[in-house]
Amino acid sequence: MLEEPRIGVFICHCGGNISDTIDVARVKEIIGSLGHVKLAETFEYMCSNPGQEMIKKAIDEHKLNRVVVASCSPRMHLDTFRQAVKSAGLNSYLLDMINIREHCSWVHDDKEKATSKAIALIRGAVERAKFLEPLTPKSLKVTESVLVIGGGIAGIYSALELADKGYQVYLVERNPSIGGHMAQLSKTFPTFDCSACILTPKMVSVSQHPNIKIFTNAEPVAVKGSPGNYQVDIRIRPRYVNLEKCTACGECARKCPVKKPSKFEENLGQEKAIYIPFKQAIPNCYVIDKDYCLFLTRGICRICERFCKGEAIDFTQQEQVVSLDVGAIIACTGYSLIDSKLFGQYNYGYHPDIVTNLQFERLMLQGLHKPSNGEVPKKIAFILCVGSRSTATNACEYCCKIGCMNAIKHALLLDKSVPGAEPWIFYTDIRAHGKGYEEFYAKAREHHTTFIRGRVAEVVPKGNSLVVKAEDTVLGKQIEEPFDLVVLSPALVPNISTKELAEMLGIDLGPDSFFLEVHHKLRGVETKREGIFIAGCAQGPKDIRETTMESMATASKVATFLGRGKISVSPEVAFLVPDKCNLCGVCIEQCPTKAIKKGKKEVTIDPISCVGCGICVPVCPKEAIDLKHSTEAQLIAQIEGVSREGDTSPKIIAFIERMTAYGSADLGGQSRRSYTSQVRLVGVPSTGRLGIKHLLHAFASGADGVIFVEGDDSLFKEDQLRERIIQLKKDLGKFGIQSLRIQSITTTIPQFEKIMSLFDAFVERISKLGPIPREKREELEKYLKGEQIATQHAT
Amino acid sequence: MKYAFYPGCAVHHSSKEYGESCRAISKALDVELAEIPDWSCCGAIDAVYSYRPLSSIALVARDLALVEKMGMDVVTLCSACYYTLNRTNKLLKENSELKNKVDAALSSAGLSYSGNVRVRHFLEALITDVGLQRIKERVKTPLTALNVASYYGCFLVRPQYLTSFDDPEHPKSLDDLAEALGASKVEYYGKIRCCGASLQITDEKVMLEMSKKILLSAKDAGANCIITACPLCHFNLDAKQKAIESKFDVKIDLPILHFTQLVGLAFAIPPKDLGLDKNFVVPNKILLQYARSVA
Amino acid sequence: MQPNTQLEKTNQKVETTPAEPLVQQKDRWAFVHEVEKLPGGENILDCLQCGLCAGTCPTRFAMDYSPIQIIKMIHLGMREEVLSSSTIWVCSSCYSCYSRCPRAVDITTLMMSLRNLAMKEKIPVKKEIKPKFHKTFYEIVRKYGRLHEPELLMKILKKSDLPNLYNNVKFGWSLLRKGRLKLRPTKIGNHAELLAILEKTAKEEAQ
Ligand SMILES: Cc1cc2nc3c(=O)[nH]c(=O)nc-3n(C[C@H](O)[C@H](O)[C@H](O)COP(=O)(O)OP(=O)(O)OC[C@H]3O[C@@H](n4cnc5c(N)ncnc54)[C@H](O)[C@@H]3O)c2cc1C
Ligand code: SF4
Ligand code: SF4
Ligand code: SF4
Ligand code: SF4
Repeated sequence: MLEEPRIGVFICHCGGNISDTIDVARVKEIIGSLGHVKLAETFEYMCSNPGQEMIKKAIDEHKLNRVVVASCSPRMHLDTFRQAVKSAGLNSYLLDMINIREHCSWVHDDKEKATSKAIALIRGAVERAKFLEPLTPKSLKVTESVLVIGGGIAGIYSALELADKGYQVYLVERNPSIGGHMAQLSKTFPTFDCSACILTPKMVSVSQHPNIKIFTNAEPVAVKGSPGNYQVDIRIRPRYVNLEKCTACGECARKCPVKKPSKFEENLGQEKAIYIPFKQAIPNCYVIDKDYCLFLTRGICRICERFCKGEAIDFTQQEQVVSLDVGAIIACTGYSLIDSKLFGQYNYGYHPDIVTNLQFERLMLQGLHKPSNGEVPKKIAFILCVGSRSTATNACEYCCKIGCMNAIKHALLLDKSVPGAEPWIFYTDIRAHGKGYEEFYAKAREHHTTFIRGRVAEVVPKGNSLVVKAEDTVLGKQIEEPFDLVVLSPALVPNISTKELAEMLGIDLGPDSFFLEVHHKLRGVETKREGIFIAGCAQGPKDIRETTMESMATASKVATFLGRGKISVSPEVAFLVPDKCNLCGVCIEQCPTKAIKKGKKEVTIDPISCVGCGICVPVCPKEAIDLKHSTEAQLIAQIEGVSREGDTSPKIIAFIERMTAYGSADLGGQSRRSYTSQVRLVGVPSTGRLGIKHLLHAFASGADGVIFVEGDDSLFKEDQLRERIIQLKKDLGKFGIQSLRIQSITTTIPQFEKIMSLFDAFVERISKLGPIPREKREELEKYLKGEQIATQHAT
Repeated sequence: MKYAFYPGCAVHHSSKEYGESCRAISKALDVELAEIPDWSCCGAIDAVYSYRPLSSIALVARDLALVEKMGMDVVTLCSACYYTLNRTNKLLKENSELKNKVDAALSSAGLSYSGNVRVRHFLEALITDVGLQRIKERVKTPLTALNVASYYGCFLVRPQYLTSFDDPEHPKSLDDLAEALGASKVEYYGKIRCCGASLQITDEKVMLEMSKKILLSAKDAGANCIITACPLCHFNLDAKQKAIESKFDVKIDLPILHFTQLVGLAFAIPPKDLGLDKNFVVPNKILLQYARSVA
Repeated sequence: MQPNTQLEKTNQKVETTPAEPLVQQKDRWAFVHEVEKLPGGENILDCLQCGLCAGTCPTRFAMDYSPIQIIKMIHLGMREEVLSSSTIWVCSSCYSCYSRCPRAVDITTLMMSLRNLAMKEKIPVKKEIKPKFHKTFYEIVRKYGRLHEPELLMKILKKSDLPNLYNNVKFGWSLLRKGRLKLRPTKIGNHAELLAILEKTAKEEAQ
């Protein structure tokens, strides 16, 4: 305690919203008699100007150094009251607000009980207030540059947009050229734009933009730092051709003796060991495949070197790691196709004329032919939903989103380019949901595409043809139809190493394994980590239009983030208590934002990355971590205050995570969902902040049961919570307290009903168990005192 | 190597030659098969199960309880038994209510089953435990002139929650075995199609249609013979081949061998010991080749 | 002037009888819930009606309703139609539908359960040999502990279908000659043990 606390408590009537149910006069009387409380006042509307004036005046007159406002939810008016105390010259963190409206008067009818609960809640706040400390938010300058990971259309678009706004952009692409999948496509639905024609000018703009620096053959390998100031290590693999010197004349490739399958052509064509992925590649420079080059594999040849007039070949190139300082990162690593071999019934890989839709794009551009014999195929089957919309373990539950439109596009292209072509599309449901898409579908029907509604059972090679077997569910008839070529539409899955990248960046993957946005609708391009954004198919399957729209949205969000120039960092962060840490490192794993780092001699917590969830605090066996504004002293004081007050039985303490779960309980209040007044809510940054010690304090000082209410989207994940609860139950067992006395629940904001019914059910359960006996409480008290002595001794 | 052996009714009666050839090659490979004393019928896929599910589970649980006493893995030659035995294991593991009922029934006969018997198909045991290498080493007359169509049917590869030793769409265990014996494998449509075994008695027409497809596709693909790993499949393809020929007015004449018979031939075991004389479609060509190489 | 027939027609009050609703609202989901509890019916509502099962089914040609139709009928609560369909009896338990179904609907096992339900409720079957087969099979196994095929056939084959009977006898003869047929049944040694077990389970099943 810094100085002798002089606390003022201000109790709001809320125009009857509170005072109709809670006897505020009695509250004032009782709270006013608590130690260190110099003043307790009630007022009609505390948030009104006169109300705020009253607080300011009281601070001045009574030399208050702590303020407690008991009123509505802090989600409503915390800022209002912080401003008020601040303008009276008090640090705004010396204020505490306690919610006696949404969490009390609105949800209870019995005046007596509601009043008693309000007193308990306020008492908790008063006890906590004694330990409040002044804090100041940090302000940091941001680095005004951006790293864009992935050079597909998403990366290209967001890079251009940000570069045009004046930011320095680093575009990092794993392949030798930027362009992504779009570079491989023929025409695009639903407009038939030639993919290369609309993409390559953008690629050129990227390469010529003064604010963009491209790294190809490169990918990030380490990310350090904090929002606004990240340091990223980029590993650049050697290309063995000098980017500045190569003129892309192609002389080397003409002379190179080694042929290999072309990745760009989806293995439907060959290229040399020194190659350029495609003609319009950016950078427009050749590259040597080290797995095929004779010199790099066997130390002979070097023919290319001999024939290159510009002396661009450089076998001395080594792998290189460069470090970039950036303020924000965009991950737009796109997708890949699921391996069609996983679905053996389609015989992909067993017959050359069974191809994927991406291979078909290449076949169209090469001049349509059957890979087996070069003949022009006439009758072509398009099989949709290969590995999509399936709960099988090797497949994807979600829809690939582009398969249907793409097959329709192919059918229409065939109609134009192959006389007498006969496209058949085997579908589950046709998904044509975008501007111009349904019309596109209609056009295909008008142009004699045959649509069969039925998921294909199998493709069987038979003689010269491929027999497709399916049920036409409209006819109610099994059909076995021979085709010249079969095109599969495989599911879209996250690109290779998306998971590793997510770990590196400290962001989440959704259940579909794509990057997870913060909110499906409202914060669609942000990730849980500030300063890290996503765009394009890395977030989930989508078409080009959606990808570019999203990329621009992402660029705009990044610009807003960086545009502030500074980033204000909450002071409510974890910190190390001096001389306690023994470097065991158990906290490091637990931190969801990777803010804790272990050095040789010490563990450090980055106050910028730390989001103040407090998950690390109770896991430290040495009690070496504490959390600002929710310190052990503050929290325990509040727990004791709330638990001790009043003589209702049973008493339940519900610890409630301060964002989503708290909001949910607020919404319950707004909806006047009444529930038992035996439950007293204590807000915490996350229930991960709590350990066995806090439970023991609660039980020792009067609680009979404890509930953890966590937000569904919290950093303290559901399985972590479950694990923690299991551990706590075990620990409680050691103290002879039934494991039934603790329960947890997760919720989204609208799901308040489930919290409230749990409250009711839990109270019933604890009533059956009965209160914790006095002797037990005394025993715990004694233990905790001893513990305190022990820890004090240790320090 | 020693296994508890569950022959099943078909091998015991109508497919004797399968059991005979199996014993012959087991001997050659030092594999010991201890027939379960007093085993009973498995209930034939769903023949009993559809009528009396609980009884059918208890029936098999009894067999498994007998095996448990022997303390070994059990092998079977019949894919249907393989399925039924595995299904029983799985249901008893997952459904405690069912398990209680079955336990009560078993205990009324003084038996108990704790669920620890591993059920295996003889083919799988041969390939994983003995190994293709050892089989190869034992080959005396490589079957180089033979194009063998391996027929897997249903229960060897499906459902995946009961069997996973081979790929359900592109199985290869039998093909690998045939190749180890020196034969060439044949890719053909019928490989994993159903032969209609469970309809054999009640819906012969449908069954003949199903088996016909398998036979014709193997023949079209240039097979000299089909090998099977199930007495029921073998019965349909071999014993019923005549009926198929006359019903659909086609000439098939394709010898169907139990895979054990093929192994036996490559081991140069006399055809009689392999029960080849009991096959319906006389494998003349194969025997000729055999005679030639022995001479 | 001509009478305006057009007008007259529109003025007439047209009475239409509404079509029968497909499902009785009362127990709309009762059958679905019943099926969900049967072995194989667990994922019945997960079916996305893609039709792959019908496309892959080798006995589809002999069924009155395809597997996907059976699933749909279950969704619609068409209990009677499902249980009296030929489909559930034609299914050869090949597991190819289950194996390829994208939603893990275990149709094969479900077909067994539906046969069981149909037999329990003595629903008339288009081919009466089917339930007879199962019943007789069980009785023979109960009697001997093993299957005895000649007895099974003799009991279930229609005595009136002489050509079929003749064919079977002829075929039996050829098996006999190859030593692949035993005229007398094999009874297991500890038959009492088996009876005790089946006694107990039969009691359970009767409940
Ligand atoms: C066959 C087919 C046809 C299609 N046709 C159409 C159409 O006609 N119309 C339409 O609108 N849409 C179409 N699409 C969809 C279209 O391809 C996508 O919408 C679009 O390509 C998505 O772009 P992207 O940048 O998000 O991903 P991608 O194109 O996949 O680009 C991602 C890039 O990131 C790189 N990368 C990945 N990981 C890393 C890493 N760790 N480090 C560095 N770089 C990395 C990749 O190499 C790649 O270059 C089609 C898709 C397919 C499969
Ligand atoms: S050194 Fe390598 S890349 Fe150059 S020509 Fe020889 S094989 Fe080709
Ligand atoms: S977009 Fe079409 S092809 Fe792709 S999964 Fe969805 S429905 Fe199937
Ligand atoms: S295959 Fe499965 S999902 Fe598709 S219709 Fe049949 S049961 Fe339904
Ligand atoms: S298990 Fe039955 S319904 Fe399913 S595919 Fe086989 S025969 Fe058809």
